[in-house]
Amino acid sequence: MFTVGKPSPGVIVFTYAAGVLALLLFMFPIFWMVLTSFKTTVQAFSSVPVLFFTPTLENYREVLVDRGFIGYIRNSLFIGLLSTLLTLALAVTVAYPLARYSLRGERQIVSWILSLRIIPPIVSVIPLYIIFSNIGLVDQYPALVIMYTFMNLPLAVWMLRGFFAEIPRELEEAALVDGSTPLGSFFRIVLPLVAPGLVATGMLALIFCWNEFLFANVLTAARTRTAPVGLTEYATPVSVLWTQIMAAGTVVVVPVLTVGVVIQRFLVRGLALGAVKG
Amino acid sequence: MSAGRSALPREQVRSRRRHLVPYLVMLPALLFLLAVSIVPLVYSLVVSLLRFNLMNLDRTGFVGLRNFQLILESPDFWNSLRVTALFVVIAVGLELVLGLALALVLSRDVPGIGFFRSFILVPLALAPVVVGLLWRFMLNTESGVLNWIVTLFGLPRLDFLSNTLLALPIIALVDVWQWTPFMFLILLAAIQALPHEPFEAAAIDGASTWETIVHIALPMLRYPILVAVLLRTIDAFRVYDLIFMMTRGGPINATDTLSWSVYNVGFRNFNMGYAAALSWIILIIVTVIVTIFIRLLSGRGEQPA
Repeated sequence: MFTVGKPSPGVIVFTYAAGVLALLLFMFPIFWMVLTSFKTTVQAFSSVPVLFFTPTLENYREVLVDRGFIGYIRNSLFIGLLSTLLTLALAVTVAYPLARYSLRGERQIVSWILSLRIIPPIVSVIPLYIIFSNIGLVDQYPALVIMYTFMNLPLAVWMLRGFFAEIPRELEEAALVDGSTPLGSFFRIVLPLVAPGLVATGMLALIFCWNEFLFANVLTAARTRTAPVGLTEYATPVSVLWTQIMAAGTVVVVPVLTVGVVIQRFLVRGLALGAVKG
Repeated sequence: MSAGRSALPREQVRSRRRHLVPYLVMLPALLFLLAVSIVPLVYSLVVSLLRFNLMNLDRTGFVGLRNFQLILESPDFWNSLRVTALFVVIAVGLELVLGLALALVLSRDVPGIGFFRSFILVPLALAPVVVGLLWRFMLNTESGVLNWIVTLFGLPRLDFLSNTLLALPIIALVDVWQWTPFMFLILLAAIQALPHEPFEAAAIDGASTWETIVHIALPMLRYPILVAVLLRTIDAFRVYDLIFMMTRGGPINATDTLSWSVYNVGFRNFNMGYAAALSWIILIIVTVIVTIFIRLLSGRGEQPA
């Protein structure tokens, strides 16, 4: 901390003022989106912003039901959950050995995994589109599940390695002395202890899947279209259904925010822990 | 099992096998990562050497480095490079300044500060697609709330996103809105981890707050700042979602970033050979940038993996 001792009253007032200003700037657009989602088109397009009005749920009904946005949400959830489970399963198989043993080439393996995140998705998406078209995977669920697992695996390994490294080795050794097999002690002792870490890592992976657009835009069509791509349907160069977009946007954003606020503490800790076992 | 291996004492064989187990456990995941990263890159390199248009597959053929030559001779490529560089500099530069300032101010432990720190992070969780649409709505000429604010200052309404000079900086500012909290998050954690002693010494010597920040805090924050700027640069360099939602590369080509340009050539003109070559050029540029950052970082000795 760069200040010493108790802050003076002036400093406290300044800190609160900066905090309130930042909060207004960062929260206002989200507030505005949610507010607009409950307006009629006339209210939303008034040249002087309307703050008080009778809210309507018409936008939600129209976009979710009539325009089938709920189907895109279902695709997003299905692909996201499947990919997250796969990511966690694969990440555990890498993160646990890296955290528990001092392996030859460990440093190189970790650097290589992290370096994969440097490749811009636009670079992979051109050849992948051609490859996936040739093997009939375009607009099939596995296409995005594979890509999202690939996208999230490096970060998941990084975070889980930190969570595994936190568990005292003695616990496992005690189990082994009591006659447990290494695999048995892993499932009965280690995995339950690391469960909060798995949840935090999984939630983060799920959010990244949920928000992803480039791969989804290129690799899906009518059957497997996800929510972010579905949003583009309502904003064509010809017409933009603003109030319905704000409703759909609210539906996309609010669950993530709720989850985010709940698991924030875990996430920040998890990201920091990755660095513990340098 | 080879003859040499079976000549080893039993104990040694077992311990060697046990040493292999961690690697075997890691193998499937590592192979998966290898397959999904290397196969597309190699395939893309092959495609980049072809005349390969999905709308005209009959004319497919080997053209050597022709695609690369066409790109380097194209003014569109140099425009995209300039647009992307400008976007990265504006966005990441402002994010660093604002994120650092915010982290310094909000690092003071006053009651209830946790509330502010948490809610500032909210934009990070938003889908960039939603962010792009939301800001486009707020910037709308006729009814956008931001244009209403403009009129409060007695200025005429502006068509921000149709203006060739304004469109790119505006999109960069939207990026600043979403990602300044990321800089804030990393730098706040770094500031909180700083040792107390140098600051106590500075206080005793009567240094001003400004002097303390510039001469003591900033040099100690060099490493986290570089990491945060590196992560944001990698990310800002690939900007695509905001462009798709806000301007689609326009007006004219004022927001035609490199990622958008690859998408445009590949999935609107279906010229895969050219798009693959362009994406390899992007990969090389990114690798050079990252290498420079890593050099800067490793100048500081011990680095966490």
